[in-house]
Formats: sequence, C-alpha cells, structure tokens
Amino acid sequence: MSAKVITITSGKGGVGKTTATANLSAALAMQGKRVVAIDADIGLRNLDVVMGLENRIVYDLVHVVEGTCRLRQAMIKDKRLETLFLIPAAQSRDKNAVKPQDMIDVCEQLRPDFDFILVDSPAGIEQGFRNAIAPADMVLIITTPEVSAVRDADRIIGLVEAEEKGPARLIVNRLRPGMVQRGDMLDTADVLDVLSIDLLGIVPDDESIIVSTNRGVPVVMENNSRAGQAFRNIAARLLGEDVPLMDVEAPTSWVQRFTRFVRGS
Amino acid sequence: MSQARVNIRGTSDGVVVNIGAGDWNSLVAELTARLEQAASFFKGGRVALHVGPRQLSQDEVEHIGALLQQHAMSLWAVIGDSEETRQAVTALGLETELAVPHPSAWTEPGRTPGAAQLPRLADEAGGEELPAEGGAVLVRRTLRSGQTVRHTGHVVVVGDVNPGAEIIAGGDVVVWGRLRGTVHAGAGGDDDAVVCALVLAPTQLRIGGHIARSPGGEPGRRILPEVASVQGDQIVAKPWGEK
Repeated sequence: MSAKVITITSGKGGVGKTTATANLSAALAMQGKRVVAIDADIGLRNLDVVMGLENRIVYDLVHVVEGTCRLRQAMIKDKRLETLFLIPAAQSRDKNAVKPQDMIDVCEQLRPDFDFILVDSPAGIEQGFRNAIAPADMVLIITTPEVSAVRDADRIIGLVEAEEKGPARLIVNRLRPGMVQRGDMLDTADVLDVLSIDLLGIVPDDESIIVSTNRGVPVVMENNSRAGQAFRNIAARLLGEDVPLMDVEAPTSWVQRFTRFVRGS
Repeated sequence: MSQARVNIRGTSDGVVVNIGAGDWNSLVAELTARLEQAASFFKGGRVALHVGPRQLSQDEVEHIGALLQQHAMSLWAVIGDSEETRQAVTALGLETELAVPHPSAWTEPGRTPGAAQLPRLADEAGGEELPAEGGAVLVRRTLRSGQTVRHTGHVVVVGDVNPGAEIIAGGDVVVWGRLRGTVHAGAGGDDDAVVCALVLAPTQLRIGGHIARSPGGEPGRRILPEVASVQGDQIVAKPWGEK
C-alpha cells in the first residue's frame, strides 16, 4: 500500500481548508480507507479542534521533526473512526520550525501504512504553504465564490503549477444558491472561467458546518447535512467514483422541490 | 557610500544615468557593476548620460557607448556642462540635450502621467526570464494572478491573462484569450504600440506613457476581439476590423 498525499490549500484564509480537510479525511475513513490528516498550520493549529481531538494531543508535528518523539506517538486516533489518524501542528512554534524536506520525510514514513495522507495547508504563500505542498501528489484548491478568494486561488494555482504539482483540482465552498440566483454572488461558472482547472466539487453554504465545527464532529457524519453530502461526494470522486455534481443551485423550498419532482427533473 | 556617485533612473524618455565627481575609471567600473546587477531591468533601454562639469574625450564617450551596448542598451545623449564634452558627443552623432526626441511621449504632460511614474521594463524581481533579444515571445498558457511576463519586444499569449497577472512589453501585446490583468505595451516609451485581445477587459491598460483603467462593469463572456491604441492623447479600444 502506498498512500496518496493530498494537500488542501487556498491562499486566502477562512475559506474552509481546515473544514474540508477534516471532512474529507473522515469521509474517506468512513469508506474504510486508512487516512492520516496532518495539520501543517504550525503556530495556528485547529484541525485538532475541528476533529474534536484537541484534548488528546501529547506530541505534535514539530516534536516528530525534531526527533523528540516517534512518529507513531504523535498520531492521534480518531474517537469514532478506527482508520482515521491526526498529526497535529504545534501551537507554540512558527512555520519555520518545519522544512519542506521534513514534510516529505514524514509522508514517506507514513505512505506504506495508509491509503491517504491529507495535509491541511496554512493560508498564505510563504514557508507554511511551501511545506504543505512539498509532499503532495495532488493539490486541492478551496475557494469561495468571492472575487478576493478567487484571485488568491488563481495565484496559488500558478505557484502549484510552478512547483510541478499540478494540475490542481478545485472545490468551490460556501456557495449560496439563493444569492447566485439573484445575481449577488459569483456562480461556479464565473469561478471556473477565471481558474480554468478541473472542478472536484461544490459545497453549499450550510449552518450545520458551524455547529459541527464547534462540536468537533465532522459534518460528513450527519446524514441530513447538504454540506456533509457534498463532502462525501468529493471523497467518492477522490476514490475514482463518478458521482454527478450536487444540484446546489437548485431551488430548495419544498414547493419548488415538489414542482421539480412533478416535472420529472 | 559610493552609490550616490552613479545614479540610474528610468524616465518617460528612457534611462537617465547621472555620473558624479570622482575618478573616471572607478565610476565606469561602478556603472558596469550596477548594470550587471540589474541587467534585465535596463535591457533595451535608451540611455541619456549626465556627466556634469566633467570633460570627456571622444574615446571615453565611445567606451561608454560600447559598454551600454554590451548590456543591450543604447546611448543616445550625453549632457554635460563642458564645451569639450559637447563637441566630443556631437562628433559621435549623439544628442547633447534631452528635450528633442520622443515628443509624443509627452502629450499633455499635465494630464497623462508620463511613463516616468509607470514601472519600467523588469522593475521588480520574480518576472519571467525571457530571451534578451527583441522580436516576439510566445507564451502558451494562462497567466495567473501574480505572474508577470516582461519582454523588450512583442508579447503574444495563447491563453487568458487573469486579473492580477501582468504583461510588460517593449512592443505590442496580443492575447489570444481573455485579457483581464494589467498590460503595458510600448513600455520603453513607444506610443505606437497596440494591445489586442479576444476579450479586452484589462484591469489597467498602459501604452507608452499613457494609462487607462477599465471602464468597469461586467465584461461578459461574449468574445469581441478589440484593439487598443493611443489616439490623440488617450487610449482607445475599437472592435477588431473597425477603422
């Protein structure tokens, strides 16, 4: 077995890198895959919080890199999913505590025992980002349908291509169908028009994300969340399944849904 | 510090080099070093040399001319106070005054921000390395935010130029795709340069010493090839084929 290393990055902060990492890791593990999530956001760690594993941290990535502990000691097993592990970032250090080669070494050590290694990149284009993409076999770019996030995503795609890690694939996060319909938000076509890379999935804006993030339970574990469904679909696509894009731009009230049902669409 | 003795800056009329007082040979050595440091910055530039009261012989002026030639720059004027210098310069067929050439670069200086305020060819690090000679260069991919192409000749892009990307060309710019970034054609001061694109919607468009912002509004996805050029004292975009 040799794991595939997938780095999740965005350039801009706050667009959902950590949420996506936590959810895709969990969704892949729910399919029985062996998954490690690595938080590369050293100094501002929060993948552990989103995954609800904060209180179990003893050692972190910097300890591993500095040789304070063995790799296994820093791997925290998820509380629900048997095949999901987290390597947390250090909270007290900064990005320079780890070098790109360290990330490659850590991933090489993990590869034989896992199917997927997901790396949560920090925002920005500096050392932290360089660390995060160094080991990547595939890069997922997260953006929201906002001009500033798309601009940063475009920059990141350029950098990823320059590192010969491309072609990157795109996740459009926090789409609000109602706003798109009113013409108040960029739609997916607008985003793809600029970025011109493969679209891996669209995640609708969903309040349940905030609830689940605060509770430390990835939303993919909830059946009735649309965002959760979107992340499960993306995970399925990563596994090579051909899942059609979710119809997030569809009307959502039950009357409209009923109309659509009657029309047979 | 010795750096004040040789001062190099870009203006709308090319590069201006000021040479202060001091030993001629060491100043020339310093100029050489400065040119080498920033070779790509000055590439293709025309140079006006200010020498102050210094007396230069014809040989010395020729030497400087050759030195600049080596760095792909051309000496077109030497401005000095000394009569001897002026004679040497005139004998070589160079100008002794700045005011004459390129009148077009200064159309209504009050209104158009001369190219002096615009970034020159290769003014910051990180630009793409391109061949030194003129002619055209073909870029066959999408230029993304943060990516820059600089070239002393023409630039042709087969692909889009996204917002945040930048093209700085000494000559014309042709984009076979959507142009939504920033473009400077004729960046050496050439107002006759043109910019054309299948969809011409740049964030900012500069030709020679002229600058124009995009009129704003949603450019739409419809493909309407346009050509932008300087007409009178402003940049005008016209649909392709319209006279």
